[in-house]
Amino acid sequence: MPHPSDGLLRRLVDEPDGVADSDREHVTSCAHCRSRLVEAEADALLVESALRFDVAPDVDAAWNRLVTAAPVAVPVRNRRRFAVRSPFVAVVGVVALLGGASAAAAGDWFQIFHTEKVAPVTVEQADLVALPDLSSYGAMTVAERPNVRSVEGANEARRITGLPTPLVKELPRGVTGQPRFVVGNRMKAIFAFDREKAEQTLGQPMPEPPAGLSTSQFSLTAGPGLAAVWSEARGVPALIVGRVKAPTAYSTGVPFETGLDYLLTLPGLPATVADQLRSFKNATTLPLLVRSATQVSFTTDVNGTPATVLASRDGAVSTVVWVEKGHVNAVGGTLSTDEVLDVARNLRWKQ
Amino acid sequence: MPASVRSDLEHIFRSAYPRVVGVAARVLGSRDEAEDVAQEAFLAFGRSSVPAGEAVGWLCVAAAHTALNHLRSGRRRASREEAATDGGHSTAPDVADAVVTLDERRRVRAALSRLPRRQAIALVLRHSGLSYAEVAAALELSPGSVGTTVRRAESALRKELGHASPE
Repeated sequence: MPHPSDGLLRRLVDEPDGVADSDREHVTSCAHCRSRLVEAEADALLVESALRFDVAPDVDAAWNRLVTAAPVAVPVRNRRRFAVRSPFVAVVGVVALLGGASAAAAGDWFQIFHTEKVAPVTVEQADLVALPDLSSYGAMTVAERPNVRSVEGANEARRITGLPTPLVKELPRGVTGQPRFVVGNRMKAIFAFDREKAEQTLGQPMPEPPAGLSTSQFSLTAGPGLAAVWSEARGVPALIVGRVKAPTAYSTGVPFETGLDYLLTLPGLPATVADQLRSFKNATTLPLLVRSATQVSFTTDVNGTPATVLASRDGAVSTVVWVEKGHVNAVGGTLSTDEVLDVARNLRWKQ
Repeated sequence: MPASVRSDLEHIFRSAYPRVVGVAARVLGSRDEAEDVAQEAFLAFGRSSVPAGEAVGWLCVAAAHTALNHLRSGRRRASREEAATDGGHSTAPDVADAVVTLDERRRVRAALSRLPRRQAIALVLRHSGLSYAEVAAALELSPGSVGTTVRRAESALRKELGHASPE
């Protein structure tokens, strides 16, 4: 019998039940392996001791910190705060959704989806919650994470992202001070459709996928991106001006429309969303979800470039999004639609 | 509740927070910094659609990644590193504690930041109490290769400390 691998010996140190009886018996009777086991035990003990750091955090205090320190990102009852972020989240969600459909490709990688403009899709809040998680349809691997974080100043933000930073000539009334800068690296996710997993997860048969789907992969990239954030005294963002390198999808074969068509036949996609997505035959349009219960949208332009404006129905929060030269730009805040458009139309970007 | 914040966040937070802090603390050697990292991980998780069944693994990997980024950025102040016993919650010292000095802890953490990222994370996750199966699922490895990965990392760290391997 060959000597067990180092990995197996390591498991024998602290999870012996995971090792086959025959391997355990071999180690017991083999002097060479016993010596290797002693070495593995010693290394494990040394590292355990070096890394050990026992903490017993106060979970209640930590939860309160999460809720109060970042009201835009945790479940709070204040819609005004949260809505600032919503359009960005929705953009990412829809791109990911469309990306999954494009796994229908086969052959060499080629670009099938490139964002040139945005257009609103109206959904009910319940539908948004019900958007299928792509991991139910196959294997989603995040190859590069965005690691969104604050950085020290505009220079650092430009250096990290290679993107220009926004210069706001005149801040809207009520917005004061210097912004903090937030950056995110390029995000890259790879998705492979798995019919068996999808059927198992959803508990129902899937429609017959296009030829080659089961062996193809789909790659989605977005970013890097940066944002300048002006906050109110309590830390709630009052104005956010951001730019992200537009999402792009690559696949290994069939046109985007083929993937989209297949997506639309899958169980789990809300019918209202499916109906609206059918209108997106132009693969350069990035759908922007609008929650019909709380938001309204209209189209306009930012210095000649088509733009979509989202606003909360109570008028407290507005965002304008437009795509220009391969970048998604957004201006949002606890502002009126006129105010965000005024900021957008007078923006300058410092290289 | 807003649609893009998951409804199970509080439940998962309360059950997984200590473990996620523990992962970051092993990397950073600082309770305060570990809690900062854990908060960051949960914020990202709250906005994600990671299945609840994969939450702990995902959070632990995110915390380890972020903590290693902190180490690697070199922006930490050495004074923030605490002796394990300074955390105020240590159990009784054992024999190994006696031979691993604070300086050695720092060297181990510096070496940790230089390891291949997957090795470092597998090591930290395993020493944070995740089972081989949990580490394998979180890092998309086979359980067999978890042992190999952890073993290589431990061997590299032992060499870094200059400890001779036992005969």
